[in-house]
Amino acid sequence: MGAKILVVDDELQIRKLLRVTLQAHGFTLLERATGSDGVVCVGMERPDLVVLDLGLPDMDGTEVLRQIREWSQVPVIVLSVRDNEDQTVAVLDSGADDYITKPFGMGELVARIRVALRHAAHAADEPVIVVRDVSIDLARRLVEKDGRTIHLTPIEYDLLKVMAVNAGRVMTHHQLVRLVWGDQNYEAAAHYLRVYIGHLRKKVENDPTRPTMIITEPGVGYRLLDCF
Amino acid sequence: MQIDRFLQAISESRRGWLPYLATTVAIGALTVLLLKVGLSFQLANIALLFLLPVLLSAARWGFGPSIYAAAVGVAAFDYFFVPPIFSFSVSDLRYLISFAVFLSVAILTATLALRLRMQVNELRMREADTAALYDLSRQMTARGDLTGVLEAIATHVHGTLRLPVWIALPADGDSMSIRARAGQSSHDGGVDEAVCRWVFVHGKMAGCGTGRFEHADEIYVPLKTEDMARGVLILGARDRAGALLAERLRLIEAFAGLAAVAMARIQLEKEAHTARLSSESERLRTALLDSISHELRTPLAGIIGSVTGMIENASVLTDEDRRDLLFTIRDSAMRMNRLVTNLLGMVRLESGMLSLHKRACDVSDMLGVALRQLQDSLQRRTVVVDLQRDLPPLQADDVLIEQVLVNILSNAVKYSADGSRIEIRAGERDGTAVLTVADEGIGILEGDEERIFDKFYRAEAAKKIPGTGLGLAICRGIVEAHGGVITAERRSTAGIRIVIQLPID
Repeated sequence: MGAKILVVDDELQIRKLLRVTLQAHGFTLLERATGSDGVVCVGMERPDLVVLDLGLPDMDGTEVLRQIREWSQVPVIVLSVRDNEDQTVAVLDSGADDYITKPFGMGELVARIRVALRHAAHAADEPVIVVRDVSIDLARRLVEKDGRTIHLTPIEYDLLKVMAVNAGRVMTHHQLVRLVWGDQNYEAAAHYLRVYIGHLRKKVENDPTRPTMIITEPGVGYRLLDCF
Repeated sequence: MQIDRFLQAISESRRGWLPYLATTVAIGALTVLLLKVGLSFQLANIALLFLLPVLLSAARWGFGPSIYAAAVGVAAFDYFFVPPIFSFSVSDLRYLISFAVFLSVAILTATLALRLRMQVNELRMREADTAALYDLSRQMTARGDLTGVLEAIATHVHGTLRLPVWIALPADGDSMSIRARAGQSSHDGGVDEAVCRWVFVHGKMAGCGTGRFEHADEIYVPLKTEDMARGVLILGARDRAGALLAERLRLIEAFAGLAAVAMARIQLEKEAHTARLSSESERLRTALLDSISHELRTPLAGIIGSVTGMIENASVLTDEDRRDLLFTIRDSAMRMNRLVTNLLGMVRLESGMLSLHKRACDVSDMLGVALRQLQDSLQRRTVVVDLQRDLPPLQADDVLIEQVLVNILSNAVKYSADGSRIEIRAGERDGTAVLTVADEGIGILEGDEERIFDKFYRAEAAKKIPGTGLGLAICRGIVEAHGGVITAERRSTAGIRIVIQLPID
């Protein structure tokens, strides 16, 4: 049996769409229409993943996430709308795993769900992470592209490593800054982040002006895509 | 200098003792002078010389000091010069007639001088009034808003008349509300609204000193133009009301007239502006309805037609038919999504709800996002990207600038043929980032360079291709919100070049 997915959305049409398509992909579906029902359901039914709409009538999406996170680490993918990047960043920083903007394609959603499930399963730490033609040897701190060694500065390496470990997932600016620079002043470090992403792209992308690996999620953060 | 200052001090203390002292001193000095050198003069000449201080004090200090000068002069003349000398007694009784003549001349002179002085004062006051009026009218034309004008009037009237001033305007219903005030009032909260209302309705002055509502502590002056009253000017006169109305009535009326005219001007300007706005919004509403009804219905027709076709004719459709219909549905839905996004963007810009989340961002990054978003449609174009090396980061809202780039690039795709080139360049010039997107598409007519940024404007040649005429208008809105400039140029060969200039900081 596939993973159990809880959909919390007040729109019947969206729930129906997700039920039909996700079931076709082999997932088991649970549906709730309100935030409070969703929180209860997480406790009772122990789903493997939650798809949470941010625009619920009874509760703020951020609040639903907070209540879930009080005692559960179940992966949560939020459904957000364009022009609401601030709220999206807020829920990602407070523990959501990923987001998808409405309207979305089903292929994209299923890919996000698979990535989130994989990370939640804590697949045994691999000594070598391979992202397309780039391989990162964590034990030897060695990065190769097409078999040739790429020279990275320590910070570039840390940044690439953090993104590769979280491949497929969106990483917000705050998350990356915290994981790479630690507790440094955020404003200053955010500036470095932008610069180092540029450096990394020059080294790992085939065409840095049209990146296909380290892509920018506008207003939110960056995502390392492990498949095209 | 010191003498000047001394004289000034004397002239300032008109009602004080200084003029009398100065007159006494002057007569004393004259007497001493005449005693030393003037004994050769005839008495008639000496008498005439004693008229001098009288004339001077009359011209300078007015009635009191000049009469005093005449009296002291007569006394000094009598005592020192009229025989028997050094005695007030007079040997020849004819001198008494001389004294009488002397005194009459002095009194007449003093009266004339006083009248002259009053006339000068009055002229000065009129001049000051004219200057005050002129000043007020100049200040009022400089102010464009009602509150500003009312405050200018209140401050000015207060500055001229040295009285607490209020201006009341009709508020909702029957009430009047104080909209401007200047100067402190000893009886705060004093304005009598009932009197105020009466003055506004009847257009006549009222309050103390006017014969109407005498119990009031203030003078209420209507601010009216020919056709209607627009407000009430209130002067906290109280004790001075009578004198004020006697002396400055014309000035007060002139102030009120000016104020009313200024208020009328602002009212008319506002009405004209509203009329212009409503005709503009009427035009926009029509264009919006036309555009939306067409732009929304076309993709909806595609979706509904395809879906009903698939439901009703399920058995006769081949797999390929079904695939075609599904693609139609997807493309139509995406088109509607673009339309809705643009409409929402326009509403946000128009309503002033657009808030910029500026942060440092790279042009290459934003361009990368836009190119990625359009990668499917760009597949059949040759895209050339030429970025200046080490382009400094921009302070901008990356999400919005990406939307600009997406709109411009999708236009470049939409209006050009398969296989044509799209050239994207970015560089820095004098602290400004310059981004250009050039295509080889249908281009624009001469004279359309500005109009294509208007809301709902579609160039003639572009009307065959679906669109709302919103995309570039939104681009302009976003770029201008960043303090930048967006323009279009006709290319000499074919197509259009859009140039975006954004300040780097």
